[in-house]
Amino acid sequence: MYKTFLSWRYLFARRTNWIGIAGIFLGVGAMILILSIMSGFLGETRAAVRGSLADLVIRPDFRERADGKTLAPEPERLLAAVRADPRVAGASAQLSWFGVITVKGEEEDTRLILSDPQFSKQSGVNLVGIDVADEFQTSELKKALEREPLQGRMDTRVADVEHPFARPPDYHPRGRPYPSVIVGEQLARNWLLRPGSEITIYVPPAGVSIDKLSSETVNNLSYVVAGTFRTQENEMDLGTIYFERDELSRFLGRELEYSQVLVRLHDYAKDGLAVKAALNEQLIASNLLRGTRSMRTGELVEVNTWEEQRGTLLGAIENERVLMAIMLSLVVLVAAFTIFAILSMMVTEKRRDIGILCALGATPGGIQALFLFIALWDAVLGATAGAVAGVWLAWKIDPFERWLSATFHVEIFRRDVYLFDHLPAIVDPRGVASIVLGAFLCTLVFAFVPAWRAGRMHPLDALRHE
Amino acid sequence: MNRTTHVAPKGPVTATHVLSARAVTKSFQIGDRKLEILHGVDLALGRGELVSLMGSSGAGKSTFLHILGLLESPTSGEVFIEGRCAWKLPVQERAAIRNQKLGFVFQFYHLLAELDAVENVLLPAMILHGRGAYLGRRKALREKARSLLAKFGLDHRLEHRPAQLSGGERQRVALARALFLDPPILIADEPTGNLDSATGEKVLELLLTEQKERELTLLLVTHDERIASRCRRVVRMQDGRILSDGDERRA
Repeated sequence: MYKTFLSWRYLFARRTNWIGIAGIFLGVGAMILILSIMSGFLGETRAAVRGSLADLVIRPDFRERADGKTLAPEPERLLAAVRADPRVAGASAQLSWFGVITVKGEEEDTRLILSDPQFSKQSGVNLVGIDVADEFQTSELKKALEREPLQGRMDTRVADVEHPFARPPDYHPRGRPYPSVIVGEQLARNWLLRPGSEITIYVPPAGVSIDKLSSETVNNLSYVVAGTFRTQENEMDLGTIYFERDELSRFLGRELEYSQVLVRLHDYAKDGLAVKAALNEQLIASNLLRGTRSMRTGELVEVNTWEEQRGTLLGAIENERVLMAIMLSLVVLVAAFTIFAILSMMVTEKRRDIGILCALGATPGGIQALFLFIALWDAVLGATAGAVAGVWLAWKIDPFERWLSATFHVEIFRRDVYLFDHLPAIVDPRGVASIVLGAFLCTLVFAFVPAWRAGRMHPLDALRHE
Repeated sequence: MNRTTHVAPKGPVTATHVLSARAVTKSFQIGDRKLEILHGVDLALGRGELVSLMGSSGAGKSTFLHILGLLESPTSGEVFIEGRCAWKLPVQERAAIRNQKLGFVFQFYHLLAELDAVENVLLPAMILHGRGAYLGRRKALREKARSLLAKFGLDHRLEHRPAQLSGGERQRVALARALFLDPPILIADEPTGNLDSATGEKVLELLLTEQKERELTLLLVTHDERIASRCRRVVRMQDGRILSDGDERRA
């Protein structure tokens, strides 16, 4: 009984113990809060990245094979073969290319645009040709078209989501109308585009080797912006323009009909890797894929999961999370070290008490437990309070951030940088539990040394100490 | 005849021998020099016996007392407490003997500063009982501690911490603590050494009354001849040996 009683009494008698408790509180609280925010970011980013892709991405290798054959340039047979698998929910063909965009009326000599890297009124963009009906079944383009503009920005969405390439209602051209394109919201903002704005796009034609490129071979065509989309993924929203696939193919001189096929599955978590393997085997066998293998790993490269496709970005965020966790555990480590120091001090200070307790019949093990109990209270109080505060703050982080920003007139979370409307946080109960447990273990391990010293103290040396 | 380990000096241990020591030596190694403090000390105390242990400083009486009180191990020799060879027992059992069989009163009181008088008195019971057992009889134990303190004239000081008590009061709390679990043996190391003579006299009176009432085996270490003169048996030590042992009042 005396262990619980005295450890509790000592805890309150010595104010320095509160430093240790405060340290654990801060460490655990900060760790839970920040890791929750990182989890939130990871979750939102995954959702955003995935939104513009589907579950699987098939990129056929169109190069000539050793037997002299090449793959068919049209996607229809490949699409049919993919859709034949019952686990597949939808498939759509995309044609992607790249180009340079300038605003209509501000373009100058093509030669100048292509030769001057300092020319400010141009921007490299990804051009993606899609079949709208198929695309809606595979990627989350429809959601990206419907998504509210970022706080306080002008609404530049397309007029009719079901027919995004329809001519914008306010567009009244003098001559023949240009075909429509949809641009990323960030791109539109940077270029001051709105529905009805005209742009010119320059592309190197497909099938022309790079040394033949010149102002004569570069095509340029003008388009009208039908509206914008917002995936919340910076890369997409900043540099992607959607075309109708047939229109883009025409623009590129019919050299290419498609470059990739997106596949959506009914249950990606369950079937993802199995379908990937099955498609690889089946499509190579029926000459719909070339069977190209990676030079480095020797694996088939034409069918990928969306995570493999964006592995670097997701890996980077995950890696940041791990780095954060390591750095923040240092806070807990420092707190545990503080407890070690405080407890060591206390053992020295309480030498006489240790001797008295010995004389009254306490065992060395009991004395050791008494001091371990003090550390245990430190950990219980600090970690519990820290966990409660951390979880609560993570839960209320968005209003809290808004309040802080409003009070101090600083924008703490730049919504236009991250493209999220709110500061995301996901509290993972298992993560919280392991942080709390880690703080406990850390504290007890550090407390063991002074406690052990207390238990081994010779009662008489302790008593003589006057 | 019992096994030799259960034999106290001068014949077999009887029920009257509550505390005894046989051929106890103690030496310390200081550098290459061996410092011998006790050279084979024998002593046997019967139940209810009041004995004072006297000797000038450096005579080894404190060391001997600590060995008897199981706070320091002898270099050789044995200590018997109610017939059990204490230094051969495991450490937990020795702790249990200190807890239940021995009461200590120190010159400097040695109360715990964070606890009030009642809590200090309750400490031995807290050490004896686990949490469940203690909480089960908490009320009875607190009542016992209060009445013991009241008996010692401290009923108005129950909730005071040691720092708020006078020297005499502190020593009375220490005595209550030592007697709380009704041990058969009480070891007092100069209990009045730190008190003025009037206060010391009161504490001594209390100590002797309790000894008589409880039939305690009391070993009283003192410098003071006047205190020794109130004990029937006086043991004198010098240079780590027993010089004389007997009833000095008859002489």
